[in-house]
Amino acid sequence: MDDNTFFRRTVLIVDDEPINREILGTIIGGDYEILHAGDGAEAMRMIGDYGMTLSLILLDLFMPVMDGYEVLQKLSEDETLKRIPVIVLTSEKSAEVKSLGLGAVDFIPKPYDMPEIIRARVQRTIQLAEDSALIKSMENDDLTGLYTGRFFFEYANRIEQYDAGRDMDAIAVNISNFHLINDLHGRDTGDEMLRSLADNLMTELGSRMGVVCRENSDNFYLYVQHLDNHTDFIDRIVTRMRRTEGISNLHIRMGVYPNVDHDVPMETRFVRARHACDAIRGDLSQSVAVYDEEMQRNEIFTQRLLQDFEEALSQQQFVVHYQPKYNIAGNKPLLVGAEALVRWNHPEFGMLSPKDFLALLEAYCLISKLDRYVWNDVAQHIGQWKDGGAMAVPVSVNISRIDLLDHGLKNTLLTILQDHGITAQDCVLEITESAYADDAVRIVETVADLRSEGFRVEMDDFGIGYSSLSMLADMPLDAIKLDTQLIRNITKSDKSRQILKLVVGTAKMLSLPLIAEGVEEREQYDMLKSCDCEIIQGFYLARPMPAEEFGKLLQKEE
Amino acid sequence: MLSRESLSEFGANCDEGLARCMNNENLYFKLIQMALGDGKLAALHKALDAGNLDEAFELAHALKGVYANLALVPIHRPLSELTEKLRVRDGSGCEPLLAEAEKQATILTSLIAG
Repeated sequence: MDDNTFFRRTVLIVDDEPINREILGTIIGGDYEILHAGDGAEAMRMIGDYGMTLSLILLDLFMPVMDGYEVLQKLSEDETLKRIPVIVLTSEKSAEVKSLGLGAVDFIPKPYDMPEIIRARVQRTIQLAEDSALIKSMENDDLTGLYTGRFFFEYANRIEQYDAGRDMDAIAVNISNFHLINDLHGRDTGDEMLRSLADNLMTELGSRMGVVCRENSDNFYLYVQHLDNHTDFIDRIVTRMRRTEGISNLHIRMGVYPNVDHDVPMETRFVRARHACDAIRGDLSQSVAVYDEEMQRNEIFTQRLLQDFEEALSQQQFVVHYQPKYNIAGNKPLLVGAEALVRWNHPEFGMLSPKDFLALLEAYCLISKLDRYVWNDVAQHIGQWKDGGAMAVPVSVNISRIDLLDHGLKNTLLTILQDHGITAQDCVLEITESAYADDAVRIVETVADLRSEGFRVEMDDFGIGYSSLSMLADMPLDAIKLDTQLIRNITKSDKSRQILKLVVGTAKMLSLPLIAEGVEEREQYDMLKSCDCEIIQGFYLARPMPAEEFGKLLQKEE
Repeated sequence: MLSRESLSEFGANCDEGLARCMNNENLYFKLIQMALGDGKLAALHKALDAGNLDEAFELAHALKGVYANLALVPIHRPLSELTEKLRVRDGSGCEPLLAEAEKQATILTSLIAG
C-alpha cells in the first residue's frame, strides 16, 4: 500500500476449489497475509475469529455447505462485520447485480485476470474501505454518533448549496449546568445524558430536512428546516429525558436564529444561535431564546468595541476616574483611599461604563492590556499628586483573574512603581473571589508573594458567587470588600441584613477590615455604621471623579 | 515429464497459465497435477450417468473454472460447452463433450507420466 501504515493486511480467500485458492493466494500473497476457507460456513467461523483484522474477503459464490450469497447476507446483517469489503469471484455475469445488492463492492472474473489487474483491484478496494472508515471516524462523534462540528458545517453548507431557497433555522442546544450533572451523578450519567439528548434530537427531527452535531461538550447544533414551535420541540425532549434519565430538574435551553439570512456565513448563523442560547444562561424559567434585533445590535456593538479596542488604547480613550473611600468611625468621614475605575470615552458611543466592556474584554482575553494601561495611568497620577505635596492615600486597582495567572505579574507591577517613583504602599490590589475558585493554591501563593513586596491585597465583590469561609482562612488578605448587590439589599431584606452582620462578625474575628462599596443612601450608610463597618465607598459620600478633581480633593484634605 | 513445450504442444495457453502462477513453473505444474488427480471428472461422469443434472452442473461449473484458470484449453473447451448445456439442465449431447474432456485429461496425464 502507498500509505504510511507499515503492517501486512490480511485477506481471506473463500473458494471450494483448492487450485483457485492457491492461484489467487499466489497472486496476492506477496503483499498480504492470506487465510483460506473452503466453504461459506468455514468462512463465517474465520470471520468470527479474525473480525475487523480482515482487510478484505475474496468470495466465491458457488460452494457447498454455505454459498457466497449466504455469506454476504450474514455479513450485511452484522453492523461491524459489514464494514469488511468483499470482492466476489465469479464467472457469471448474472450474479453481479444480486451480489452488489447484498453488499459486495467489486468482482474478479473467472478465469482470473492478469495478476497485475487483480492486485490493483485488491489494493484499491482495501484503500477505499480504509479511507471511508477513516472519514467515518472523523465524521462522527464517538459518544453520540452525531456528526462532529467540522463535518456538520460541511453538510450544512451542502444543504445550502443544493437547496438555497428553503427557510432554515440555526439552533444551538445546551444542557443547563451540565457540569453539575457530571459532578453529582458521575461522568457515566453525564455521557448517558448526552447520548440520550442526541437520540431525542434525532427522533424529534424525524424526516425533517437538516443536520445535527455535537459541537463540543454539551453543546449541540441543528441546522434544520424551519420549525414552527421551538418551545414544544424542546419541551417534548425534556419531558421524555426527565422520565428516562431520572433527573427531575433537568433543564435544556435552546438558542434559535430562525429563518436564517442566507447571505450570512454558516458559522455566523451559529454564533447567533449560540448568542441567543447564552442570553438565557442561568434563567431556568426559559428554555428558548430567539436571536432578535436587540441581540443583533448588541452583537454589532460588541464587535465594534473589540475592533476599536487597540486604537482606543493608543489614543488614550480610556479614562481613569477615582472614587474616594472614607473611614466613618469618627464624627466626620475621613478620606482614606480611592478606587481607580476605568471609563471608555468612545468617539462614537460616548462615555462607556465598565459594565459595557469589562466582561467582553475579559472574554476575549484583552483585559490584561487594559489593566496594564490603568496601572500605569494610576501610578502616574499618584506620582504627580505626591510630587505636588498632596495627601497620600492608597489607590486600589483591579487585578483580573488572568493577571493572577501571569508569572510576570509581580515584576510588571514593580517596574510600573519604579517608573513613576512610587511605592507598593501607594497601591492596593483588588482581586475577585472567582479567581480563588479557579485555582486556589496558585492564587494563594501569588497573593502571598505580592504582599511580601509590600502590596496590600483586597478581596472584591465578597458576598456573592462562591463566597467561601475557607477562602478567608487560606488567603492572606488586607481587607474584604462587600459586594454592591448585598449593600443594595440590606435596607430591603432581613436576610441581607443578617448576612451583613455575619460577614462583619467574621471579618472582625479574623481582624480583617471591611469595606462597603456602592453605598448610595443615608439608610444604608447608617446601617453600616451601626454594624461597625468602618470604610465606605459610594455615591452617598462621593461619586467617581476625574484625576484632576481627585487631586484637588487630596490637596484640600491635606 | 511436464514442460512448457509439452504443454504448449498439448494446446495449453502456457503463458497465461504461468502468469496466473506468478511465472512459478513448479507451482503451475503442481496445480495441473492436482486438478487431474482430484477425481472431479470421474464424479461428473457418475452424476451424468445417474441423471443427476443439478450435481453435474455444479461439478462441470467448478471444473470449467479450474481448467480455465490453468489455461488447459483442450480440457476447458468441452467442459465449458458442457456447463452451458447443464445450466439449462439439458442432458442431451453431454456424453461426447465429457468424453472429449476425459480424453484430453488422459493425454495430459500420460504426458506427465511419460
